[in-house]
Amino acid sequence: MTDKGIPIKMEESTSLILDLIYQLKIKDVMTRNLVIASPEDSLDHIKTLMKQRNVTGIPIVKKDRLLGILSIDDIFKALDSGYMQELAEKHMSKKLVMLEEDMPLAFAISYFDKFKYGRFPVVDKNNLLVGMITSRDINVGLLMAINKEVARMEELLAQTTPVDAHHIRKMFRIRKYDFEHAGNASNRIKKLLVERKLDPKDIRRVAVAMYELEINIAVHSDGGTLTVIIDQDHAEITAKDSAPGIEHPELALQEGYSTANEWIKSLGFGAGMGLANIRRVSDSFDFQSALGKGTTVRAVIHFKRKEEKSHDH
Amino acid sequence: MTISEMTKLTELTLVQKEFEDGVISGGYTSDLLSDVIANAEANNILITIQAHINTVAVSKLVGIRAIVIANHREVPIDMVEAAQKEKIALFSSTLSQFSLSVLIGKHIHKQ
Amino acid sequence: MKIDQLIKALDCEVVHRRKETGVKDLKHFVVSDLMSDVLLVDGDVDLLITSLATTQAIRTADIVSAIGVIVVNGKAVTADMKVSAKELDVTLLKTKLSSFEVCGTIHHLKGQE
Repeated sequence: MTDKGIPIKMEESTSLILDLIYQLKIKDVMTRNLVIASPEDSLDHIKTLMKQRNVTGIPIVKKDRLLGILSIDDIFKALDSGYMQELAEKHMSKKLVMLEEDMPLAFAISYFDKFKYGRFPVVDKNNLLVGMITSRDINVGLLMAINKEVARMEELLAQTTPVDAHHIRKMFRIRKYDFEHAGNASNRIKKLLVERKLDPKDIRRVAVAMYELEINIAVHSDGGTLTVIIDQDHAEITAKDSAPGIEHPELALQEGYSTANEWIKSLGFGAGMGLANIRRVSDSFDFQSALGKGTTVRAVIHFKRKEEKSHDH
Repeated sequence: MTISEMTKLTELTLVQKEFEDGVISGGYTSDLLSDVIANAEANNILITIQAHINTVAVSKLVGIRAIVIANHREVPIDMVEAAQKEKIALFSSTLSQFSLSVLIGKHIHKQ
Repeated sequence: MKIDQLIKALDCEVVHRRKETGVKDLKHFVVSDLMSDVLLVDGDVDLLITSLATTQAIRTADIVSAIGVIVVNGKAVTADMKVSAKELDVTLLKTKLSSFEVCGTIHHLKGQE
């Protein structure tokens, strides 16, 4: 085992891996075929169960509701101290860290990194146990997805012209009300464009559009993604979020129109300029939203001056 | 400087004319209404881009008798009506908050 | 006007300072508490003057390529702000004066040049 944690970091990973770990849901990789026990089962019974079914941790469940987890460590302790006939409810671990089935796989990865448990129970929206997830499940799920994706890319590669070395494609995850990190993606992309020596005006336009889109997602949605594609002559930014969506899309584009509450306004947002600002800096802008379905905004910015080609290689 | 003297500044457009005249004690520049409530003083002139009816309510609360809306923001009609009711002068300007602060500060200190 | 003159005149606390800021002649100032409003500015921005004491003030300054931010009204600068200021290398100053007073002081300094 390593102390370094899991080396999937937002800043360093390829966009393919990031796409996958956010697209894949926990329910896509978790084990549904559960071995469970009841709180009234004895530790001895659970030991037999573990041996028969070849598992190292068993959720203790009553009426589909998860009460605790009994791990093989608990069994070792019971064997040492001689209380194998006692009941599971007395010795199970009740401090539960649970995951929800609809969370992206990225969440599970960060949980394994953070908590150092061998497994996490997975619950549905109603908090009922629906599965378990282990690092093995993640490995298998991710490998299968990568395999599929690589096969698809190899096929694409055979058909298309060679990939442009100047091409950037990055996806960022934006969380609801996370004002500490919202804007971070814009700052990073800006830095990248400065390094590429693009025209400062173009850089500013891209950064402004991105920043407003990031803030929009954090303020108004339940969270979403920002995808940035940058070529030699243009940038395309797509913001996609989940519900709630916009009730009056035509009003939302008006300057000064805002549905933000006072708290958001006290944070310096919600002046009703966001979408108007994005439209102002973009060469093409489209916007789709429906209540309950979320919002997609796409902004394209054509660079006024073409990127300087580097001659140093 | 009084509010009626302010109406002579060419950089400002008087949008709501029915106001109670008086000497301006100083300026306050802010776009956060909670900040205006906490820090602005009575008889200050408020420089803001918050072209919103709530700005009038906050001004009334603090004792501000003149508001300047910066950056050429459109002033909504309900804001004008509210200001009229409270006898608060309402100006609009194409200048930024920075330029307006400098301009108004200069005139206040002339006295 | 140079940043050191401003720091002195506004009696600023220097939270973070970009190395090369000393030589730059500051000309363009924006006062705002709403970040979208700052992003709306077309021209250059050298310094952002704001009462918004959050990381977003720093991030916005970076987006418009300002060299720094002055937080007014003696507002407390958060730990997150310090981190962002260092990370994005944006000069971060703090003054007890209000935005209005800061503008007046800057104008006064300009008059002396």
